[in-house]
Amino acid sequence: MGPKISRRQMVAGATAAVFAPALRLSAAAPLKVGLLLPLSGALAREGQSCKRGADVSTGVLAQLGLPIELTVADTETNIDTARTRAEKLIADGAQVLVGAFDSAHTMAVAQVCEQRGVPLIINIAAAPNITEQGFRTVFRNFPTAGRLTTDGLSLIKDLLSVTGLKVEKAAFLHNNDTFGQAMAGAIGKLAPGLELPFAIGETIAYDGAARDYAVEIGRAKASGADLVLMISHGEDAIKLIREMVKQRFEPKAIISPGSPGMYEAQFYKTLGKFGDYAITNLPWINPRAPLSKTLLAAFGKQFPDALFEMNVGFTFEAILIAADAARRAGSTASKGLLEALPMTNLSEHVMIGGPIAFDGKGQNNNIHSAAIQNRDSRPVVVLPNENAEMTPVLPMPGWQKR
Amino acid sequence: MKRTALFVLIGLFLLAPLASGPYLLSLLTTLLTFAYLGQAWNIMMGFAGQLSLGHALYVGLGAYVSAALSLFWGIPPILGVFPAMAAAALVGSAIGFLSFRFAVKGVHFTLLTIAFAEIARLTFQHLSALGGTGGLFLPVEARTGVDLIHLRGDPRMFYYVILAMAAALFLACRALMASPLGYRWQALREDPAAAESLGVNLLRVKLAAIALSAALTAAGGVFTAFFYNALFPDQWFGLGYSIEIILAPIIGGLGTLFGPILGAILLTPLGEAITAVTDGLGWQSAGIKPFCYGVCLLLIVKFLPDGIWPAIRKRLP
Repeated sequence: MGPKISRRQMVAGATAAVFAPALRLSAAAPLKVGLLLPLSGALAREGQSCKRGADVSTGVLAQLGLPIELTVADTETNIDTARTRAEKLIADGAQVLVGAFDSAHTMAVAQVCEQRGVPLIINIAAAPNITEQGFRTVFRNFPTAGRLTTDGLSLIKDLLSVTGLKVEKAAFLHNNDTFGQAMAGAIGKLAPGLELPFAIGETIAYDGAARDYAVEIGRAKASGADLVLMISHGEDAIKLIREMVKQRFEPKAIISPGSPGMYEAQFYKTLGKFGDYAITNLPWINPRAPLSKTLLAAFGKQFPDALFEMNVGFTFEAILIAADAARRAGSTASKGLLEALPMTNLSEHVMIGGPIAFDGKGQNNNIHSAAIQNRDSRPVVVLPNENAEMTPVLPMPGWQKR
Repeated sequence: MKRTALFVLIGLFLLAPLASGPYLLSLLTTLLTFAYLGQAWNIMMGFAGQLSLGHALYVGLGAYVSAALSLFWGIPPILGVFPAMAAAALVGSAIGFLSFRFAVKGVHFTLLTIAFAEIARLTFQHLSALGGTGGLFLPVEARTGVDLIHLRGDPRMFYYVILAMAAALFLACRALMASPLGYRWQALREDPAAAESLGVNLLRVKLAAIALSAALTAAGGVFTAFFYNALFPDQWFGLGYSIEIILAPIIGGLGTLFGPILGAILLTPLGEAITAVTDGLGWQSAGIKPFCYGVCLLLIVKFLPDGIWPAIRKRLP
């Protein structure tokens, strides 16, 4: 009897088979990828999450015949460090840089890359201006802030349409930190043009560090809102839901048009069944793509206790883009990569959206957000239909009916 | 001996770009930026004894004013630096007047400086005309050649600009220390009551210190704005940046001319050295560098409480 083949090996094999025509085995030396992430400092949590995507990428890409040599540098959530680390990575031989999560840091790194003629593939950074500078070496595989918000709001309309749910009034709760304020400002500007089928009544800004949100939820409940729009940033999401349960505030839906908080391990662990049915609209992994299955399997094996999230997927994709460019260029030299990157057309990738391709400014406009609903304490894609794992459940069952 | 050391230092800095690659040049630019900003802060704390923990306010003001003037009215930074310095001096004077006029001093004054920097950060976060939280971006043009009027050029140009600024500030501070105003500041720092009894107008000399320090810090802000080309309120007005500014003069030696420079020369490469050592040892864990950096700072403060330069000076012939 021959050796047993596990399901994971089967999926990996199938993925490699799918990729074989496109991603031929490369006998060349591994591509030297320098990855810049905020692994310590204020953005450490997000940086660590991105790093998990990079950690898993080496093995997955090797399976696809795309060898890479990864060097990770910590930007320490500091712009000076981001710039000097970028210089150091290039000095140490990095042929392509990936990073850097924060828009300010990314802009500093982009200038170094432009100066040195080394490509930068942005994993995450949403400031639109980064790709408006006429850089020749910068390629972004992440939506701009405006696109994220527009997609997030449009998906609410789609959710209401698909489920036939009628809501009249929304209460908009948002964290008053930098991110929350930026999102609130963008929503305030974009919402009127999107003709949402409900009115945004009470807008409630809250302090992310507050002990409880009795007053805020009290206000939302008193406003008569049947939909809660939420821009949270972490633990505040847990406290807000807890307070809703406590005050028996039963909105028909709780939806975030694109913010962290409601799809995190701690959220599921703490809230259990009360965390279910909340929805977040944001770019997400395509659960149906063959490469996603390989990636998810490898991720689950390497990080059994961590949750796969957006940061992981985009960091993996950024490295995949670099490796694909090296394969097409037939060279790992920065010059060859710079010639190959504008021609990128990667249809086999992991995040939801069309093929990865860059416009004249280096922006990939084919990324789409998805509606992620919490079901049995895990995030599940419910929209768009072609990527959905389940159908959305709205209105949410009452707190005591779960 | 000191003069020889100074000339050697200047010579090394002048010739450094010829021998260094882009990475080292980047490191030296950062080093000189902090030497400059530390020297500007040193006027207020080191010379006049007024502790500000909110100096990022003036960096941010300088950066935003000059960037806005350039973006919206086409005023080049070489001219924009003057309104930027004036704005910072005005704000610094207003904070100083409010504090000193009403006898807010010591830790309470320090808290006030933090409060104003935070107010500025929050205000700029809400100024949508200046990008708000989304940031204000200066157009990045081809960074080749030298255009000092518009502060556009390659990293070498930026290096020499900040070197010139740091050298000029060093010389200005040297002259100030030996001027009547400098002596009044030192009298204020050592014993305010005694200084006042000798006829020193404390309010006036304190205001002069804060206005001058703020204006010079703002000039540093203009440099950083055009060097990085991206301004975010959290980045440039944040308390973290204020702390970064003051580390070099504290470690180097408060109230001394060489202190901020020596502090920056030590601290900037120290961070890099720790990274190199921890990477070499395979200690890849995140946060190891800030931890080691903190331990080094603790050791310096413990064994050289007056800073490094005073300890060296004692041993010089």
